[in-house]
Order: sequence, then structure tokens, then C-alpha cells
Amino acid sequence: MSSFNSLIDGFASALTLSNLGFGLLGTFLGTLVGVLPGIGPALAIALLLPITYTVSPASALIMFASIYYGAMYGGSTTSILLNTPGESGSVITALEGNKMARRGQAGAALATAAIGSFVAGTIATGILAFTAPTIADLAIKVGAAEYVALMLVAFTTVSSLLGGSQIRGFIALSIGLVLGLVGADLQSGLSRLTFGNESALEGIETVPVIVSIFALGEALYIASRFKDEGWKVIPMKGKALMSAQDWKRSWKPWLRGTFLGFPLGVVPAGGSEVPTFLSYSLEKKLTKYPEEFGHGAIEGVAGPEAANNANAAGALVPLLALGLPTSATAAVILVAFQTYQIQPGPTLFLTNGALIWTLIASLFIGNTLLLILNLPLVRFWVKLLNVPRPYLFAGIVTFALLGAYALNTSIFDVQVAIVIGLVGFLFRRFGMPITPLILGLILGPNLELQFRRALQLSSGEYSTLYSSPLSKILYAVLFIALFTPVMTRIMKKVRKDVTV
Amino acid sequence: MKLPQGGKSELTFVGSLFLLGLIVFWDTWRTELPAFNLTISPKVFPYATAALLMVLSIVLIIAIIRGDVATPEGVEPGQPIHKTDYKTFGIVLGSLLTYLLLIERAGFIIAASLTFFGITVAFGNKKHGRAAIFGTLFITVVYLSFTRFLNVQLPAGIFKGLL
Repeated sequence: MSSFNSLIDGFASALTLSNLGFGLLGTFLGTLVGVLPGIGPALAIALLLPITYTVSPASALIMFASIYYGAMYGGSTTSILLNTPGESGSVITALEGNKMARRGQAGAALATAAIGSFVAGTIATGILAFTAPTIADLAIKVGAAEYVALMLVAFTTVSSLLGGSQIRGFIALSIGLVLGLVGADLQSGLSRLTFGNESALEGIETVPVIVSIFALGEALYIASRFKDEGWKVIPMKGKALMSAQDWKRSWKPWLRGTFLGFPLGVVPAGGSEVPTFLSYSLEKKLTKYPEEFGHGAIEGVAGPEAANNANAAGALVPLLALGLPTSATAAVILVAFQTYQIQPGPTLFLTNGALIWTLIASLFIGNTLLLILNLPLVRFWVKLLNVPRPYLFAGIVTFALLGAYALNTSIFDVQVAIVIGLVGFLFRRFGMPITPLILGLILGPNLELQFRRALQLSSGEYSTLYSSPLSKILYAVLFIALFTPVMTRIMKKVRKDVTV
Repeated sequence: MKLPQGGKSELTFVGSLFLLGLIVFWDTWRTELPAFNLTISPKVFPYATAALLMVLSIVLIIAIIRGDVATPEGVEPGQPIHKTDYKTFGIVLGSLLTYLLLIERAGFIIAASLTFFGITVAFGNKKHGRAAIFGTLFITVVYLSFTRFLNVQLPAGIFKGLL
């Protein structure tokens, strides 16, 4: 059956009345949580995961896709009106969008962000629908040894590209790997790092770790260091509408952002920071209104927002086709799939084809629902920004703890959550990036599994790890990423462009 | 040699990460392998991870001594680093521990309401009565929506049979 027919079937199963209801609820909740200051998409999705635990897989997926888009959209609203980007991909949006809002153009900024995200999301999901199966077909031929190489490349790029310090990125990664070791080894039953604790034999749950390293870590950090700093919400006048001139200036940046963001999501380039920065400097070069850049240029919101959304959809390609998350948000999505008993990877399209097409259809629907629901409701979302900080953090913390306990109704998960919250505090204090830790925790066990599988096939001969041409290429890429920080240099240059 | 501001505490932090690597090493070393034969020992990966963490910690310790001190999140490079306000830190941590201690003994509503209240205090809210009432109402609504509509089970605690 062709991709197109499968996609139509996906729409058929996603478009039932009850599923649409779940979609609407997901969009609403996703935006609600995403709009709250300090909550990026990864945390918003992780916080809302408990809601989808008991729903049927198809409904859970559509709800989940809507939460995902809602959280991304909510995040950009906050960046524009409050100038507190929830994640690195929104930094640029905050830069120009906030300036636009100060000039009284908040409505146009919000509209170009929302419509741009819709355009980029729709195009990118379309490309995803037709490339992911092809990549999965190719990926079935990828052996265990190549997987090892692939994961090592992802580790290296993510650790090197995020944050200012390569060594701190790698330390964050190794701590994630240590956390991933805890529990009984699946092949031999050997218990590792459990210290006699029976609950630890099952290993450390990823959802509480993600939630607490963001939510509890942030609460501890902000409370003890920036308690007295307030927020200043820019009041929004008028409706979220764009003038003809705004449309004329926005559509090209939307498309350019899309085609920049998608491919950089497919390859592990460390999340949405690189494409949004690149899109910004591209728009700055191409614009007819260079004098407006730095003072609220609409192209500077349209391009990066589109790039951010297309990047997120692009990251779904390696996630679905290879089971390889390349950003914190993608890591949360991977965990969500696992709670629905879906294991992303090359065989996914064979074993769970129907469900995955439902997901892709859900992404289209979620994206559309979002546009319909959010532009008219924008005033309501803006009100949420006025929630007093003490209540906001109290809500985030109690929700995070609820999620940690509800997952397995286990007190051990709550203990882990609190310890990880302290780790999150220390990471913030000592400038360590968080995403490498999450990737280490999630991919570490997988890396070990593939490593051992490869060596079992070769009867313990280590040369198997780098014997195939593909692995050789991957290791070459790894060394380039490790020793010639090309990307870092590009990023430095772009950053300079951004600030000048 | 004089370290830049924040250098000493960072050295302690990274030193404890080295210690963590050492613990992983020791734990791997002391466990006995199962009797049956495996091509690849389940110890290879933990040893590699421990070694990686210890080597990286040493590299970072050297870098810190040479002056590469971390920039805390939300602080511009070169700006002075604020001291942690340990009292507030303690209130947040205490609120988290309250939840841990009470969730199964007193139930979700009591545990989470106390945590909610504690966090509002830590973040400088002065209207304590209002925060307590609002927090308890909010938590009760959350409890009811999760247990009634979403079938996610949370401990009823002392309200067992009442709610």
C-alpha cells in the first residue's frame, strides 16, 4: 500500500468524533501549559503525559500530537509577550517578537508566529509522511554495529553543540549514562548500582527524570537565586491579525524557515537552536528593511518560528525511522510512545503501521485545530501570563510530583524525582546543559544493547564495530564534530550577527 | 593561585562527580558475574561509563583551575554570581520532602496542598491565608479530575471513603 493510501486510512481513524474531542482537549491543555512562563515544550509534554496514560492508543496519539503543537505555540506566545524564552529554539522569537510587541504590534507578531508555525508544520509533516517510511526501509538494513556508531554521533553532536562548553556537555551525557545503568541488566540479570534497593531493579523511569530535572530543578534554582526579579508582561492591543503588508513580508521567511529547519531536524544538529539562528541571520541578509532588525522586524519572527516548527517535525524522522531522539522534546516523545507500547525504529512501520499513520494524520489535525482555536483565543492565553509567580511554580511543582507518583504509584519514583531535582539545580548553577543527560539516560541502555548484539554476532571481535563503510563514515563525522568545532564557529558568527 | 568567583564550589561539585564515577567503578567491580558464559560481560559498559566520567571530571577540574569557571544559567558571562539563598532553597526542598513523606501516609490532597503552600511561601507570597485556601481547592480539583475522569489512581489517604 502506498504512503498516500496509508495516510488516508490514518485520517479515517483519527477523525472520529471522540478523537477530535481528545484533539481539542490536547490543544487546549498543551497551549495552557506551554504558555506558562518557564515551561518549554519538552516539560509541557512531560507534565501532561499522565493525562494520556489511560486513554486508548489512537486517542492518546491525537491528544499527544495536539499537546505537542499546542505547547510549541504557547511557548512562542510567552516569548513574544514576556521575553522569557522557555527553550533555546524560542530565543530568536523572543528577540524580535518582544520588540514588535513593545512597538504595539503584538497582534501581528503572534499571528505571524502562529500562521508560520502552521505553514511550516503542515509542509514538514507532509515531507515526514513521505520520507520516514523510505528511511525506515533503508534503516532495516542498518546493523547493530552501525547503530552503535549512529548513537555515538548523536551523543557527540548534542553534547558539543548545546551550551558554551563541550566538556560540560559530555559530563552531562556521562551522568545520563550512569542513570541509565541503574537496574537489573536485561541479558544477565546482574543488578547494577541498585545498592540492594528492590524498586531500583526496574531501572530509573525517564518521565519523572525529565519532569523533575526541568520543573523541580528550575523551582529550586529560581527560588534561591532570582526570587525577587519580576516579570513584565507587555499588554496586547487589538486582535491577532496581520495586515496585507505583514503577509507580504512573512510568506517567504515562512517557506525559507521551513526548508532550513526540516533537514537540520533530520540530522542530529542538537535541536532547534542552530536552524532558528541560521534562519534569523538569513532573513536579516535578505530583508528590504534591514533597519528594522533589532527593533522588531516581522521577518525575524516569521522565519525562525517556521524553522523551529519544521525542525521539530524533522526530528520526528530519525525518531520514527531509527528510534533515535535528537532533542529534549524528541526524547520526551520517544518516552511517550514507549508508554503506549510503541517502540519507534525501522520495524515500526511494519509492526504498528496503522498507528503510526494515525499519528501522522493527528499531527496534521492537531496543527489545524491549533490555528482555529488559538488565534481567536489569544486574549485568554495572554491573561495566563499574569498568574503570580508563587502560584505558577507551586502548580508546576505539585504537577511534577503528581506525575512522578502516578506513573507506577511508587514512592521510589518520587525519591528519584527529588534527587534529580537537586541535580537539575546543580546543573543550572554550574552551567551544564540538560539535554545530553536526558539523551544519555534514554539512549544509554539502547547503546549497550546494540553494542553487545554487534559483538555477539562477531563472537567478541571488536573490529566489527568499525568494519562496514557506513560505520567508517559515521566515525569520520564523529571525529570532525569532536575535534573541529565547525558548528561552534558558525554559531559564534551567527550569534554575533544576532547581537549586532 | 586565586580562583575566580564560584570556582571553589564548582571544584567541589566536579570532584563529587569524579567520586560518582569511582562509585560506579567500585559497584561494578564488587558484583559477581552469573555463572553462565556471556560473549560480552555486563561489566564492560559500566566500566567504560565510569572511566569516561572520571576522565572528563579530571579534565574539567584542570580547566577550572586554569580559570574556565562555569557561567550559571540566566547570568551573563563576566557578571557577578549571586550567592544561593539557602533559606529559600531549604523551604523548597522541605516542601518536596513533605510530599514524599505524606503522599502515602496522609494522601495526595494533604501532601500536595502542603507542598503547594510551601512553594508559594518560598517564592515570596505574603498572603498566606489566600494561598492556603486556593492551593487546597486547586489540589482537590486536580485530585478529583485525575481519579474520576482520567482513572489515574492517587492515594486518598485519610479521606478514604469520603471523597
